[in-house]
Amino acid sequence: MMNVLFFGSLVLLFAALCLEFAALSFKKDTLARFAWYSFLGGFAALTLYLIARGIIAHRFPLSNQFEFGAAFAWGIALMLIILRLRLKAEWLSAVAMPMAFLVLSYAALQPREITELMPALRSTWFVFHIGSAVFSYSAFILAGCVGVRYLLLVRKSDADELKLHQMDYLSYRLVALGFLLLTVVILTGAIWAEQAWSSFWTWDPKEVWALITWILYAVYLHLRLNRKHSGTKMAWFVIIAVPVVLFTFVGVNTLMPGLHSYG
Amino acid sequence: MRFGLILLGIIGICSVVGSVIPQGEAVAFYAKKYQELHGYILLLGLDDVFHGWFFITVSALLCLNLTFCSILRINNVVRAAKTERNRAAVMPDEKTLTARGMELLRGALEQRRCNKTERSGVTLYNKNGFGRYGTFLVHLSILLTVIFGVAALSLPTVTDRSCFPGEALTMEDGTQIHVHSFHIEDSEGNLDYASLLSITLPDGRESAKTEIRVNHPLSFGSYKVYQQTYGTAGSITVRNLETGGEDRFILNEYALLSMDGQNGIWYEALFPGYLRDEDGNFTLITSTSGHYDDPVYQVLVSQDGEFTPVLAFPGDVLEVAGVAYAFNAPVEYPGLRIKHTPVLLNALLIASFVLMIAGLYLSFFMQPVLVKVSENGYAVAGVKSEGIRLDLETLLAGEIVPDSPIETEEKSK
Ligand code: HEM
Repeated sequence: MMNVLFFGSLVLLFAALCLEFAALSFKKDTLARFAWYSFLGGFAALTLYLIARGIIAHRFPLSNQFEFGAAFAWGIALMLIILRLRLKAEWLSAVAMPMAFLVLSYAALQPREITELMPALRSTWFVFHIGSAVFSYSAFILAGCVGVRYLLLVRKSDADELKLHQMDYLSYRLVALGFLLLTVVILTGAIWAEQAWSSFWTWDPKEVWALITWILYAVYLHLRLNRKHSGTKMAWFVIIAVPVVLFTFVGVNTLMPGLHSYG
Repeated sequence: MRFGLILLGIIGICSVVGSVIPQGEAVAFYAKKYQELHGYILLLGLDDVFHGWFFITVSALLCLNLTFCSILRINNVVRAAKTERNRAAVMPDEKTLTARGMELLRGALEQRRCNKTERSGVTLYNKNGFGRYGTFLVHLSILLTVIFGVAALSLPTVTDRSCFPGEALTMEDGTQIHVHSFHIEDSEGNLDYASLLSITLPDGRESAKTEIRVNHPLSFGSYKVYQQTYGTAGSITVRNLETGGEDRFILNEYALLSMDGQNGIWYEALFPGYLRDEDGNFTLITSTSGHYDDPVYQVLVSQDGEFTPVLAFPGDVLEVAGVAYAFNAPVEYPGLRIKHTPVLLNALLIASFVLMIAGLYLSFFMQPVLVKVSENGYAVAGVKSEGIRLDLETLLAGEIVPDSPIETEEKSK
């Protein structure tokens, strides 16, 4: 049953992005609607999967690369749904749906068995630390997706200035949200490390890459204060920052051993 | 701000280098891994980037820059806030609206629960004025975090000590850490590694008995005690058969137990298990799991100048020169990490963390709104006005009356 839910969500997200591309290619609204329903179905299946996994494991399903990957994809999907419902950002789907699918596919490649939480992870800080990371990374990824749409729109000669500004601002708001949450990740991580290992900061590669990501987005926030930097430059910035976020999430664990190697 | 950003960039680059090159290893490690390049790595201090003079200097410059370019300018922010409304009231309209546009505008501002004040014949809508201090708080908290963070990483003393259950560790200042008991598994057989501790401070104050385990240290006074590791030690009860006097010893290193300094037993080691072949020969095994399923004591009996190696099992008793040595079940004991931090330091650091989150929240989610609404138009004033300006432009897109040439000319004056 668990596998059905997980792979069901993977298939539905894949179907959603295929339908979305078909809708864009053939300019058919009905296909876009089906893409959306398929995406919502995939999101619902993933939500049920994560809840069921949490109930079986008696903890939040956030404790290894698989669980974090699945939760990360869920975070991207949830944010896309909120943006579509609140801001009518349908235009974001074609870029954000593939990202949610890619992250979930990465999760699918990881071992899925439910393991007992290692003692160092049994902490109240665990939920705050990793929960904020899920939403922070999701917000950064979506900011990058908005950046892609911005660059696609700005190339058109009849591009609507207001629409471009809205996209640029949305991207900024997503970075702001991601930045606030990343700060929570780093600070709760420091408090937790002091509770578990006696030191707030050990320059562990995962800590260092979280700091690098934080600095990168701090630079973005400051550059954007200067009106001279055009929306196009800022859009490139948020796009180029996405691989850094993904590296902090995936690369550090696989390439740089440290205290976070299990997470 | 440009200099500040350059410094931030340098810190970012140093961090990348420090995460790619393993830090704090021995010279031989770099020589093997980086071959002829290792000389440059050591010369440039890339084997310890984060404690090197370069990184420290750049970080210190960033703190100075932050102080001068942002924190010390708080006066300007406060002053601007005081006069902001007067200035807004006399601003010319940015946009002229249709009657429906005006209705939409007022409706939207009221829906946002803005405060409304009439001034010089115009209406001012404002809210979230306090949000302007968000950036100041963020920068101040970053500065405090760096200062208290450096202090919290360098001032505390950390020592690792082991202690047998029933005994106490005495620290330099006279503080005593009592280990009442230790267990590896809880009552349901789950791995738990918990010690029951209490701390007595030099002034006599005593903490409650508290169980510590990973993630749950005991804090008392300026001490924090962590459950770090554990070990297993031998336990031997020694009884003088003549007087009946008895004492129990817990041992984890080579030791002689003797009444006269000659006859007795030398404790050599405790093994977690053994294998016994058909001929009755023993092979002692060292555990990799940490479990002592079939413990065996290896001792040397010393009697009248002769030494005889003996294997003993829990429950065995050896009698040597009028003394009985009873071998008990092994004792598990904790390895503790004891951290002594100057009072209040952690609290100050955590307060800086809280301030940073609050500052970011104010910066991003309490952006100030100040809109001047006249009879047929409006202007957005105040700081950080991009969001509200954009929202209003979106809402009122179809309701803007193109400026007449005269108005445009007047505005440009
Ligand atoms: C780790 C370092 C830093 C972080 C995390 C940081 C963070 C921030 C944040 C979050 C904002 C608000 C941005 C917004 O509302 O969009 C901001 C604004 C600003 N920062 Fe920084 N900052 C840092 C270092 C610096 C430095 C070194 C300087 C100056 C040399 C500086 C100068 C400014 C200025 C002038 C503003 C605009 C203030 C305003 O418009 O309210 N920051 N910073």
